[in-house]
Amino acid sequence: MIIKKGSFVIEGLENVQINIGRIVEHGHEAGSEVEGPTPRPEIISLRDWDYRLLDRYNPVYTPTSDMCDYCTYGKCDLTGNKEGACGIDLEGQSARQALITSIMGAACHTAHGRHLLNYLIKKYGEDHPIDVGPSNLKAPLTETIMGIQPVTIGDFLPVLDYVEEQLTQLTAAANTGQEGAARDFESKALHAGMLDLLGMEVADIIQISCMGLPKSDEKTPMAEIGMGILDTQKPVVICVGHNIAAPAYILDYMDREGLFDKIEIAGLCCTAHDMTRYNKTAKVIGTMSKELKYIRSGIPDVLVTDEQCVRADILKEAKRLHIPVIATNEKITYGLPDRSNDSVDAIIDDLVSGKHAGALILDLEKVGDLVPKLAMKMGPIRKAKGLTALPDEDEFKRLVAKCTKCLQCTRDCPQGLPIADAMVAAVSGDLAPFEILHDKCVGCGRCDYSCPVDIPVLNVIEKASQRVIREERGKVRIGRGQIGDPEIREEGRNLVLGTTPGVLAFVGCGNYPDGTRDVYDVVEEMLQRSYIIVSSGCAAMDIGMYKDKEGKTLYERYPGRFIKGNLLNTGSCVSNAHIAATTIKVASIFAGRKTKGNWEEIADYVLNRIGAVGVAWGAYSQKAFAIATGCNRLGIPVVAGPHGTKYRRAFIGKPYRKENWNILDARDGSVVNVEPAPEHLLITAGTKEELMPLLAKLCFRPSDNSLGRAIKLTHYIELSEKYLKKMPDDWHTYVRSEADLPVAKREQLIKLLEGKGWKIDWDKKKITEGPLRKVDVSFQPTNVPRLCKGGK
Amino acid sequence: MTSAVKAIDTTRQAVPFDTGNIPGPKMAKAVMPSVAGKMLAKAKRPLLIVGSEVHDRDVLERAVAIGQTGVQIAAVGNAYTSLGDKGLDVHYENMHALASYLCDPGWPGFDGKGGYDLVAFFGITYYYASQAISAIKNFSGIKVISMDRYYHPNADMSFGNLKNDVFIAALDEIIAELRKDKQ
Repeated sequence: MIIKKGSFVIEGLENVQINIGRIVEHGHEAGSEVEGPTPRPEIISLRDWDYRLLDRYNPVYTPTSDMCDYCTYGKCDLTGNKEGACGIDLEGQSARQALITSIMGAACHTAHGRHLLNYLIKKYGEDHPIDVGPSNLKAPLTETIMGIQPVTIGDFLPVLDYVEEQLTQLTAAANTGQEGAARDFESKALHAGMLDLLGMEVADIIQISCMGLPKSDEKTPMAEIGMGILDTQKPVVICVGHNIAAPAYILDYMDREGLFDKIEIAGLCCTAHDMTRYNKTAKVIGTMSKELKYIRSGIPDVLVTDEQCVRADILKEAKRLHIPVIATNEKITYGLPDRSNDSVDAIIDDLVSGKHAGALILDLEKVGDLVPKLAMKMGPIRKAKGLTALPDEDEFKRLVAKCTKCLQCTRDCPQGLPIADAMVAAVSGDLAPFEILHDKCVGCGRCDYSCPVDIPVLNVIEKASQRVIREERGKVRIGRGQIGDPEIREEGRNLVLGTTPGVLAFVGCGNYPDGTRDVYDVVEEMLQRSYIIVSSGCAAMDIGMYKDKEGKTLYERYPGRFIKGNLLNTGSCVSNAHIAATTIKVASIFAGRKTKGNWEEIADYVLNRIGAVGVAWGAYSQKAFAIATGCNRLGIPVVAGPHGTKYRRAFIGKPYRKENWNILDARDGSVVNVEPAPEHLLITAGTKEELMPLLAKLCFRPSDNSLGRAIKLTHYIELSEKYLKKMPDDWHTYVRSEADLPVAKREQLIKLLEGKGWKIDWDKKKITEGPLRKVDVSFQPTNVPRLCKGGK
Repeated sequence: MTSAVKAIDTTRQAVPFDTGNIPGPKMAKAVMPSVAGKMLAKAKRPLLIVGSEVHDRDVLERAVAIGQTGVQIAAVGNAYTSLGDKGLDVHYENMHALASYLCDPGWPGFDGKGGYDLVAFFGITYYYASQAISAIKNFSGIKVISMDRYYHPNADMSFGNLKNDVFIAALDEIIAELRKDKQ
């Protein structure tokens, strides 16, 4: 007999109703295959692991405010680490902020996943199978955290229930009068980060499985990207945010009605990635940094918002240019009237006439039907009026001449850009400084508010940069989703032994310290050095914005397989989960580590053996912080750009404290003092020149074999010499024997080691004394005592 | 570099250069360069932290001149590319890591002689320096002087927001104080 879900009445027992809810199949649910000690970890289940990390990678606090104003006892002045009225000191308050930031990020991704899951279950049913491509390990984070192997999308219901429950517990801990110890706030922040990875994994796996997004496809097509790619004579629909549900309906309608040659449709921020993953005809304008700039250009005829990375002033900005805003997600509603139950024609009439500036429509099918029709009506009207916020030529000249060079705009600019200098140059007809500013400007618009003579500064920058904007046309390889198991089998050994120098994951947002070009430059350098570059989100977009002399972008020059010297785009923000999950796959597939409910052992493996580093060069959001924190708990170091110090907390190792670098040899539990590898867990770099050698250094792992160590050391030394004009001060720390030295420089380096007091047998060209430890190919590094032979 | 020192006032415009960078009730006292110079000269273990805005010729010359008076320099960001070949006691360090080490009483310093009692900042991206100074302000007993062209509220002492010529003249005055102390 097949039992199905539903309500049943048994013949003869009409007054009895039997409700069958979720059906648990053998070997399918939590508990049945758990392999580790912490399935569904509670908020202190992994505290020992967190403490191990925190003991080595000490939290470093860089407060943006010395005050706490969370409760009515305050404001409290915590300067100098004083205690406030509730007893919390600045260290504790800073750690609490780290927790709250992580919770916000995790909640954002998880709520995104929840919205998608409810929607996709309604559309496809709970039994719709998970299909992410050629992998047995389909949901590595879910397995490692939950201890279950999901088979259908309905299997993710208890996963999100778990995440939501844990986030509630964590949020409670942040209330005044709850947690007080910085150390435990940090443990909880790490927990929230881990939950964030889980929420993201659910969101992306279900959309890949149900919506036909690429499934571990290394050869996805290219999508156009840039502010200059659209035919602005056509009606233009721009979707803004992160959630594909609504844009998918619009794309389906356009496909059905054959409208792709009549309407331009593109996305801003991660929605754009997922639109191209859903339908390769869609295009990408760029990151959130382009949002205000593109709206002000007046090019969009309809704006569709979903959730995340949508400017709070989008309705106000759009209204000025008669661009209707269609809000499609209950989390962002802007006070718009709910028109979900009104007819498409009635809504269109009100928007075209300007009666309403926008509409909230939660019926996504209606959104799909309405938006193209609305664009076809709005396009001709708006284009006939030439609506734009940018000044004309005469107005531009008048505005730049008004500048008093007071520098208030520079003081209000997040990047401190020299706007007044560009104004002066523009007065004499030189627009080049403005064109440079266009790339460095993050498009926040704070300068507009600061100008005492009311120059609309951002509009002036954009007007002056029309030439470079027209040329802004790049290519981004459409997001591929997960790294497939076969690729891991092929590459895992190289990664663990170090013969592939490392995996560098370029992720996060566009709040770069010096423009988008830096990301391209760093990625190109590291690709040439055979690092595997994995990317997602806005960073993946900006990598595709520049071309070489032959007119090719990096995506066109480097293939997308998970092997050395390749460049992969996994997809949108939630696709970050696959990058973190790749390390779990390596631990499982290459090393045979058990995954289910086994976070600590997996993270321990990743920390000690897999040379993977995250780079969030332009991270701005709470989401990015949560992702970084989740990666940290998984043993993956992350480097942020200098703005990252405003997250107020980092995890920085102290290489001079030798006792912090004791680890265990799992073969016998003996203590081994090792080189600081990886040296930091979360740190910033000031410039791209500083970033590159730091990335190379953070790829060192205690498990490197000599060939791998020599390769990593080669890049560390070369990058430092090339970009910082010096040998790294600590290069010798990573030398365990002469075999660790780069072959081409071995003799020269041995002489340098001799100069440091190391003993050399020159006949054999061998190091006889000096290294911290010897190379031991059988060394089994671990930070977890129970994983040692005989350990409990 | 001029040897004559202009009479200047570096205490004007003592408001956070980034308008929103208001940390709390304790904000830096605005100082004249002679005071900053004397403090640097009298410190037992001073450290000059110089960053990626040091490459401008006028600024670089002054950084080198300060280093030549014997002050140890931490070159953060990419500053080492301009300072490394000048025969100075200069050490590369990541600024975020340096802020962490400075807050650790157990840090042996760059030369193994222990931590520092005074650190002076200049030539660093404003917001980046501000965050590092915040750590030192709140979690160490080290005195911080900002000798940059921006007012840094998290420092103990700072110049106000200066025009470039005043900034250069202020550095000259600091150098003069350091040289005077050496004599």
